[in-house]
Amino acid sequence: MLLRDSFKTAVHGLRHAKVRSLLTMLGIVIGIASVILLMSIGSSAQSLILDQVRGIGSDLVFIVPGATKGSRFSSPPSAQGIIIKTLTERDADALRREQSLLAVAPEVRGQTKVVYQNNDLTVTFGGVTHEFFIVRNLELSSGRTFTETDVRSFNHVAVIGSKLAETLFGSQTAVDKTIRVKNLSIRVIGVLDEEGLGPMGVDQDNMVLLPLSVAQKQLLGIDYYNLVTAQANSAYTAEFAQGRIVSVLRQNHRITDPDKDDFTVQTQEDALSLLGDITSIMTVFLTSIAFISLVVGGIGIMNIMLVSVVERTKEIGLRKALGATNGDILQQFLLESMLLTFLGGVIGILIGAFFVTLAYLILSNTLATGWAFSLPPSAIGLAVTVSTLTGVVFGLYPARKASRKDPIEALRYE
Amino acid sequence: MIEVSKLSKDYRDDGTVTHALRDVSFSIKPGEFVAIMGPSGSGKSTLLHILSFLDRPTRGIYTFLGNDMQTLVDHELAYTRNKEMGFIFQSFNLLSRASVYENVELPLLYAHMPVGDRRHLVEAAIESVGLSDKILVEAGKLSGGQKQRVAIARALVNKPQIIFADEPTGNLDSHSGAQVMEILQKLNDEGHTIILVTHETYTAEFADRLIKIRDGMVESDIRIEKRRHGGKDFFK
Repeated sequence: MLLRDSFKTAVHGLRHAKVRSLLTMLGIVIGIASVILLMSIGSSAQSLILDQVRGIGSDLVFIVPGATKGSRFSSPPSAQGIIIKTLTERDADALRREQSLLAVAPEVRGQTKVVYQNNDLTVTFGGVTHEFFIVRNLELSSGRTFTETDVRSFNHVAVIGSKLAETLFGSQTAVDKTIRVKNLSIRVIGVLDEEGLGPMGVDQDNMVLLPLSVAQKQLLGIDYYNLVTAQANSAYTAEFAQGRIVSVLRQNHRITDPDKDDFTVQTQEDALSLLGDITSIMTVFLTSIAFISLVVGGIGIMNIMLVSVVERTKEIGLRKALGATNGDILQQFLLESMLLTFLGGVIGILIGAFFVTLAYLILSNTLATGWAFSLPPSAIGLAVTVSTLTGVVFGLYPARKASRKDPIEALRYE
Repeated sequence: MIEVSKLSKDYRDDGTVTHALRDVSFSIKPGEFVAIMGPSGSGKSTLLHILSFLDRPTRGIYTFLGNDMQTLVDHELAYTRNKEMGFIFQSFNLLSRASVYENVELPLLYAHMPVGDRRHLVEAAIESVGLSDKILVEAGKLSGGQKQRVAIARALVNKPQIIFADEPTGNLDSHSGAQVMEILQKLNDEGHTIILVTHETYTAEFADRLIKIRDGMVESDIRIEKRRHGGKDFFK
């Protein structure tokens, strides 16, 4: 049979059992819609995360204490909550003397309670120097940042996140208000612009920044750093700076065997590729769950096609008597199931796209940072391919069964 | 046109062997109108299935248009059925949800004929059975007689050399039956070879030759001297 005629015949076959065709299709529709939805949301989430990391600045190099062992997916021990004290002021000073670096910003982190009048809440605080504001590109909406004197003289001052200012002070101006951080009275000297999530997933809008000396010695009582952020001099690449930092620190720590490094130095590129991989794995994982529903849908298709083959035994016999070859019959039934899943795929894509748009409208309004609309062509291509392939895979057995029917027995079938 | 020599067909079922046909031999020339008659279980349907390439014999030689069936593979049988044979069944076997046109078109689809060439063939076939006014009607909505006429149109649309009719009047009232037999006779006059299987003597007498089958063997093979003609004779 000509392909065009087979196609017409298949459409005919499906149209004569409209309700059944639609119900059968539903499994594929749901499967494809969820594949589209999850792939799209995955890719939006990925670009959201990557954009934020990218926003930090591409010339930054991060130094954390502790070595990263095993695969690149294992995080340094310091990020796993293990306290490592190897990164100290001596290291920061050595790095400040390094030519390829423009600025070196050591910091410590912790959780603390912040109180103003009747408001109290637990927030993340960072102990930073004036360099921090430079390397992180943080802008203030009011007030000023720390000076070197603030850090050196243990001044009890703070720069706070925009949301935190709103929570604590409402519509009043935050600058010059005095808050209690743990047992210290601290004067607010500046409020940050809206910044969103920072590196390590810190919500910068709900953060309290204190002079490094105050946070490190008076609040935490420690003499090491949690993180040092260095900005490469514009004449050098981040990779070059990374290499220099590694050799400075090895020298400082008297390390000769690179396998025994007690620190991890990462550029923004490293972080990006790692994050990209993690979010990709997440997307693949979620999408593969959606594929399970496609398999279930495919089994539904097979089931219905088997019923259809039995129901149309006599028709198969007739077609064979009139000259249809086994191949013709196979093609007819295979085309029917493929058409069924292809249409299911197309409807699924439309429904998926609808929900992706809905998610976009909701998330872009509720999230402070931009949630990008994403409907990757690869997802659509994959959906169409997979749905049609489902038709082939699950339609093949019924179609073969149909094509092998004995014409005489088929014609006699009542 | 058809040469059958010592044709036998056995059916095996759980060790018991049924001999549906035993050493049947005859030949049919182009243009003949042959009725094959016999009681149910006589083997006449089995014979028709083999003659029409739907089944293969267990033993014996069947030559159709000079080709030994033994030498033909399945898709060659399908090709021959499509090109040289027309089929009319007792229960019409139409696609009831498809239109008259689509039903008649069916054999041409399997002949890989392009749309443009098909149209006038289909319309001519439908016209020759007098159903031009029903061309777009769903086949399932027609009366029994009309359905069988659609089936006849389908059987002759590919201009076959031979038409096989398996109890074509079995499901029809006598008036419609007469019409159908008249059309078959007309087709025979136009040169089609027709092989009719029936268990009714009346129907058989429209043919010009009668082969009687009993217990899988040819009981008699005679020429019908006083052939029935037209509708009126059907009621005698």
